[in-house]
Order: sequence, then structure tokens, then C-alpha cells
Amino acid sequence: MKKLLIVRSVSMQQLDNNLKAIINTFPDYEYHMLTHEHSVKLVEKYDVIKKIIVYPYKQSFSIKRPVPELKNEIYDVVIIPVSNLTGAGFFNVFQFSLSLKSKRRVICNLISDLWDITSGQIRWMRMKHIMMSIVSMTGSIIAGLLVVLFLPFMLKRLEKKGE
Amino acid sequence: MMQRFPLVSIVMLAWNRKDDVRESLRHIQKIDYEPLEIIVVDNASDDGTAQMVEAEFPDVHLIKMKKNIGIAAYNVGFEQAKGKYIVIIDDDSFPARHAIRRMVQVFEKDERLGAVAFDVRNYDHYDEIKNELEDTDETEEVKAVASDYLMSFNGAGVGIRKDLFKKIGYYPEEFFLYYNEMDCAFKIWNAGYRIEFYSNIVSYHKYSPKNRASWRAPFYYTRNAFWLIWKHYPMDMALNTTLRLIYHCLYYSIEQKTTVYLKAMWSAFREAYKLKGKRKAVDRAIAQKLRVPFNLSFTFYR
Repeated sequence: MKKLLIVRSVSMQQLDNNLKAIINTFPDYEYHMLTHEHSVKLVEKYDVIKKIIVYPYKQSFSIKRPVPELKNEIYDVVIIPVSNLTGAGFFNVFQFSLSLKSKRRVICNLISDLWDITSGQIRWMRMKHIMMSIVSMTGSIIAGLLVVLFLPFMLKRLEKKGE
Repeated sequence: MMQRFPLVSIVMLAWNRKDDVRESLRHIQKIDYEPLEIIVVDNASDDGTAQMVEAEFPDVHLIKMKKNIGIAAYNVGFEQAKGKYIVIIDDDSFPARHAIRRMVQVFEKDERLGAVAFDVRNYDHYDEIKNELEDTDETEEVKAVASDYLMSFNGAGVGIRKDLFKKIGYYPEEFFLYYNEMDCAFKIWNAGYRIEFYSNIVSYHKYSPKNRASWRAPFYYTRNAFWLIWKHYPMDMALNTTLRLIYHCLYYSIEQKTTVYLKAMWSAFREAYKLKGKRKAVDRAIAQKLRVPFNLSFTFYR
């Protein structure tokens, strides 16, 4: 049987909607879900999910934090849900998906539109990410100089009296 | 002798959602728990929400605000609530039929349990999933916990001890919208209480894609992310995280071709005076362990 992995990168409320569309688009698959530890009991409510894999970190999905349990697992489809229309702000999850072995990667947006994203497209996004990071880092270093000087005084002034 | 159950107050904040409020209140009437106090705080709706509540739900305690003051209006309802426990809901959410009874059971067994986070599910699938969710085996292990980090809760379904909630000052009125739950979570954990999720304590919420597409969510989530860390993080963590947030504001402004994050960041600094007297760094262990999804701010815009 073909296997499909859903990366739980959005709220359960959105997933309640998305799951129906995913099953309609990919019927006759065995469905697995990758989720943070606190959500396991909530994901267990989906009867269709045959296996739950715990993301063993507190932080968001990142290619720097791959899942050892999935190192040798091969999926036919990996679904990446996003909580908006375009997937903006989810580059970390797209990039994380490269740490998973899968024949297809599919984005599922807020209104359950599904479309493929290739590893080539993610790598191209990575190039843009590096460029944007350089510009943002330069800007934040300049702003950071002011912040480092100014913020401690500001925070002191905000403190509760007697604390 | 009959067992006396504690009073529970359900507090809803309503703003221009007359039909949703009506629907939620009808579901609330089916809840299998007594005694129950229902408080609706109307945030100056102009669509007749308050008039509808008065006419159709005379048992509901209605509080009419003179203008929309955001989440601060919740605090008026919290203060007037007489219950030992307060259940917070949105104007488009409601607790499942057994939720309050189950919530009281877990609260009464554990004095250090400060808040019970409900499993907030999508109301669009109410008919499909309600039976399955509500008829779970009550003896089953239902806590949804993480072993090495701490969680907040969803404001569309949570129960909080009234005395604790009053002590920590309710919701942060300066936030206006969003991240108010996280602000409370810092204070609850720091007061020595716990927040726990229970998968068999459910509330239903109308999940609105339309609302999430507006500028309000990215703006207030971003501004309030700065304010959260300035209020609650120890100095060194506040500095580091502020720098990281500035980087993210710049990065996502370029990625999404928008100025909303820069405006929110500017607003955070410009209006920081609103936090005067409100900063109290939590224990370092709590700041390190409480899971704050800062990336969330940057996922609403497009």
C-alpha cells in the first residue's frame, strides 16, 4: 500500500478541514502524521491516521532537526499544510521536508487547495532565502546596535515596582 | 446527602456576530452541567447582537460595553463572574456537552492545576466528529502533555481557576488582540500552577479563513510578540529574542512584500510605555521551556 505522511505544521482546526481534502485527493493510501509530542493525543482522534510519529523537539520543524525515526522511511507523498493561501512563512517546513524521503511533496493550503512542490523549487527558494537572510541580517545588525544599547534601560523602566 | 458542584462561569466576548452568538448559546444550553453562569460581554456590536441576547436568552448575564475595547472587555466579564472556575470562549465557539463536567472533575482532583486547555476542534465538522469526540472512554488516559516543554492554551476553549486568574490580572488589556493567552500562560506557570490539555474536553470553533487574511492578525501577533518577551523574559533572553524578532520582521517583510511587520515592530517600540509597571521576568526555566511559536506571526498575511 502507498504511504502518505502529513507534517502537522498547522492547527488541529485547520487539519480537520484539510484531512478530508487530502483523503479525497489521495484515497487508498496509508496515512501517517508527524507531530509535536503535545498533540499526539489530539491526533489519535483521527481514525484514518495509522501511525503517529513524534517530532522529538520543542522547536518548529527545521532541516537542522531531522527525525531519526524517519531516516530509513520512504513515503510516496509528503503533505505540507500551510495556514495561508500561498505558503509564505513556511519555508522552514518546506526545507525540512527535504530531510524526508518521498517521491512527491504536496502543499495543502488554508482552503485545502493542493499542489506539488519539487525539491528543485525548494532549493531555488533556499537561494532566495540566503539572499533575503543577508539583507535582513545586515538590517538587524544595524538596528541591533541601537537595541543592545537602548533596550536594557527600557526594560528596567518597564519593571514592576518592588520587583 | 447530595453532592454540591461548584459554580462555573462561561464568559464569551461578542462583537458583530449575532448569528454565531445565537448558535453558540443554543449549544451551551445543552451542556450537561449545573450550576452554570453564562456571561456575554458585547463589545459595542452594531448588528443587534446585544438586543438578540436580551430577547432570546433572558437567563444570560449580558454586559454591554460602550465601545469596542478589544480583549480588555473580557476582563469586565471575568471580574463579574461568580464561578469558582471560568470557561473562556469566543463568540463563534462553544464547549461540547460533557466538557464542563469533565473539566470540573480534573480541577477538583488537583489544586495546582491552574488551567484546563480544551481540544478546540473545527465546528464545520461538528456533526461528523461530535459523537466520536464526546463519547470517549472517560477512564482512558486523556492528558495531552509534552515531557520536556510547557504549553499555553487556545482562548476558544479553556477553563481557569477564578482566584488564580484574578491574582494574575486576567488578560493583558494593552494587547488588544492576540497572544493574550500566551501572556496568561507565562503568569500561570510562574505562579506555580500548571496548564494541561485534555483530549476528551472539547470545544468547537468556527475556523474563519477570511478573518485570518486581514492585516490585524499579522500586526497584533507581531507587535505582541515583542511585548510578550519584554514583559516576561529575563534580560538576556529578551535581548536575544528581540534581535531575532527584528531579523524575522525584516526577512518576512521582504519575502511577503509587505510593511505590516515593520509597522508592528515600530508600534511595539513606540508604544512600549503601555507596558510600564508590567514587566516581571519569569523564572528562567519557564522562559526556556514554555513553547512560544514566534513564527506564527509571519504566517497569516498571504
